Amino acid sequence: MTRVVRASMPIFELDKVSLAYAMTSGGRARERDGRREVLHELTFSVGAGEILTICGASGTGKTSLLRILAGLTPQSGGEARFRGAAIAGPSEGIALVFQDYSNALLQWRTVARNVALGIERRAAGADVRRRVADALRLVGLENNADDYPWQLSGGMQQRVQIARALALAPSVLLMDEPFAALDAMTKASLQDELLRVRQETGASVVFITHDIEEAVYLGDRVAVLRGSPGRLAAVLDVPLAQPREQVTTREQPAFLALRHKVHDAIGRRA
Amino acid sequence: MSAARTLRGLGGIALVLLAWQGVVGSGLATYDYLPSPVAIAASVPELFYDRGVIGETLHTLGATLAGWGIAVAIGLVLGALLGFSPIARAWGLASVELLRPMPAVALVPAAMLLFGFSIATELVVIVIPTIWPVLVSTMRGIMAAPARLEDVARTLRLGRIETIRKVLLPAAAPAVLVGCRLAMSTALVLAVVAEMIGNPEGIGYAVVREAQALHPDLMFAYVLIAGMLGVLLNAGLVALGRLLLPGAFNRPSAVASASAP
Repeated sequence: MTRVVRASMPIFELDKVSLAYAMTSGGRARERDGRREVLHELTFSVGAGEILTICGASGTGKTSLLRILAGLTPQSGGEARFRGAAIAGPSEGIALVFQDYSNALLQWRTVARNVALGIERRAAGADVRRRVADALRLVGLENNADDYPWQLSGGMQQRVQIARALALAPSVLLMDEPFAALDAMTKASLQDELLRVRQETGASVVFITHDIEEAVYLGDRVAVLRGSPGRLAAVLDVPLAQPREQVTTREQPAFLALRHKVHDAIGRRA
Repeated sequence: MSAARTLRGLGGIALVLLAWQGVVGSGLATYDYLPSPVAIAASVPELFYDRGVIGETLHTLGATLAGWGIAVAIGLVLGALLGFSPIARAWGLASVELLRPMPAVALVPAAMLLFGFSIATELVVIVIPTIWPVLVSTMRGIMAAPARLEDVARTLRLGRIETIRKVLLPAAAPAVLVGCRLAMSTALVLAVVAEMIGNPEGIGYAVVREAQALHPDLMFAYVLIAGMLGVLLNAGLVALGRLLLPGAFNRPSAVASASAP
């Protein structure tokens, strides 16, 4: 596998990161045999400004990996660093977008106040209003600021969650199968919106998906997790030009070849 | 609610009254002390001339609201404590489950021994059982908040207090509101019971007094007033909920769960 040498400092560096849960039975954690390993010795890095998509079948530890990067779950082995420092909890500059938008949004707050949630305590009122308006404009929800989430469609609710993440002005967006619950057309338009947002903000993106085409379409690189515990099966560069286009990009031989490779790396049976 | 539905609802009530009137008027029911609806209605002016119905109603209303208010305050604090703290649950939940099924009325003699025939007796009888619905729904509401919301609060780097105030308590609010409504009907029932036995004032005492004086029409009129008080208190609480929680309470799913009981 050819390694691309990157000039700037990586955002995330993972060195033999493993995750094992102690299985408890009757409230007691067992010593050795009761541990279940979810991730096994993952080593990779995420470069500044890149979109790394992580693809794998269910049960390969994709979400666990993202939780380690987000600082929500500590790894049980190896080293994980964000901007050179060991990850020890949620860090500033990292924003997370969950798949289940209806649980992740505060249903009793308007769209604007949901977006403000992460910044309202830290910034002055006028500054908050400006950043909320900017974030809503980035995702095309400037006319829905005063609506409640439950009044919006699924795609729009997911846009609210993305706007809430963008309002933090993050250097990294971590996204856990954010479009998996949406219909195909909404999914396509949100994919293009994400690429545009990356272009405008320069944020790095780590994007979890089980959709191979989505992984190839969005990614600058695609990492494939395989097996249980999940191991890194491949990290593939995506040789497709930006900007990408829903129809023509997906017709290119390079797209199809990479789709084939990722498919092989995932394995027929998972 | 549509006008047609309101009309049909009132029609149902009218039919019941009509049947009652028919049964009593035709001599089918031969109880000496079962007055007809018309006789009860005819006795209503007497409530205002010869009886202090306004003062009695205000007494029961005041005792209900005061007892409910105290119970809500205690129930919210204890419920929040149990909801947020596993240690509090480990030490306190068994006590709650032990005390909660105790029949509320069994408290009346105990309260009377301690406080005599007084408003204190009435308040004790109202407050203690009224705490439970508030406490339990506050605790459940907090514990039922989606775990995802905690993840959201952590990744947005909210402090613990900020998380509780902005995320977990509002998430529990619809359930708390349900508890407060259940508590209101409990409080009214207990106020009337306490007035019948422990504190000779208000509507509860008036019902007993008129029954013993063999004025069944006046007695039923008081019962009717107690019922209307319950309807009004519940309606007031629903309106208050809509005012305080515009986002949470108007949501279709929240309305479905908040208006279930």
